[in-house]
Amino acid sequence: MSEEKDKGEYLKELVLARLDVMPSNYKLSVGNQGTFTKMQLMDSVRRESSLGKQIIGMQVNFIKALTSGELTKVIAQ
Amino acid sequence: MERILLVTRPQYDGGTAYLSHYAKLVLEFAERRGIEKKDFPGKDANKKEVLKYVSKKNPKLIFVNGHGDEGALEGDKDEILFSVEDGLKLLRDKAVYARACHAGILFGPEMVKNNNGCFIGYISPFSFWIDEARSSTPLKDKTAALFLRPSNEIVNSLIAGRTAKEAYEFSKKKMIESMQKIFKMNQQNEPGAMGLLEILWTNYQGQVLYGNEEFVF
Repeated sequence: MSEEKDKGEYLKELVLARLDVMPSNYKLSVGNQGTFTKMQLMDSVRRESSLGKQIIGMQVNFIKALTSGELTKVIAQ
Repeated sequence: MERILLVTRPQYDGGTAYLSHYAKLVLEFAERRGIEKKDFPGKDANKKEVLKYVSKKNPKLIFVNGHGDEGALEGDKDEILFSVEDGLKLLRDKAVYARACHAGILFGPEMVKNNNGCFIGYISPFSFWIDEARSSTPLKDKTAALFLRPSNEIVNSLIAGRTAKEAYEFSKKKMIESMQKIFKMNQQNEPGAMGLLEILWTNYQGQVLYGNEEFVF
């Protein structure tokens, strides 16, 4: 349980770090959730709101694609 | 069925404003190709007007921009235009591209059951980054263009005579080109490049095609 909690926290920190480097003039339009500044996105991730969970989910998929090599394979086409 | 392109372009929030501007490029392409089209901009993208037109004119290709959920496509101010409970019959044998969220989960598969239509859409939230410095001129926003121009290619390709499968593949090919551009940006240490790539990857993975893959407009 504690390992899972650590993993979850680590993932959250990773998402926050990824969002933190986005230029401050960028906003993300997320489907029917709305359009958000990076600060709003980071706040959602910290609070694990439904938007925050969605952002974390996207990050998980992206990490899987990176680590499995799937993304590299696609980009190399 | 008539060789008509119908486009809904609600424009009531930041996201739909961008979708609306980029969808206009598709209308302009259709114009150049001499395709009959019907535009439902802003408040016109309401259920009453859209369904009345679809019933009367029977357009073969429908491009829905806006929000959605697993079982529905929405128009102006989140009004449901078509859902799994209502309106699916009107979409029999047509091609629908839904630039909306999640409609690929339930709406898409239901729409194409027992007919020759096809559906292209998403099983994830269709998302894109915007450069706020360009938000008053969305078509000059190079960041948003990385996401929205490839998705325009679905309808452009159908207009140009490609099959549904070819249109779907061509748009994915354009997304890959965007990913390659972003990858180069990352190699040049441009801040935020990986963030752009992550969202584009979500759209790429989430794009689905159901039904008649050989559908031709």
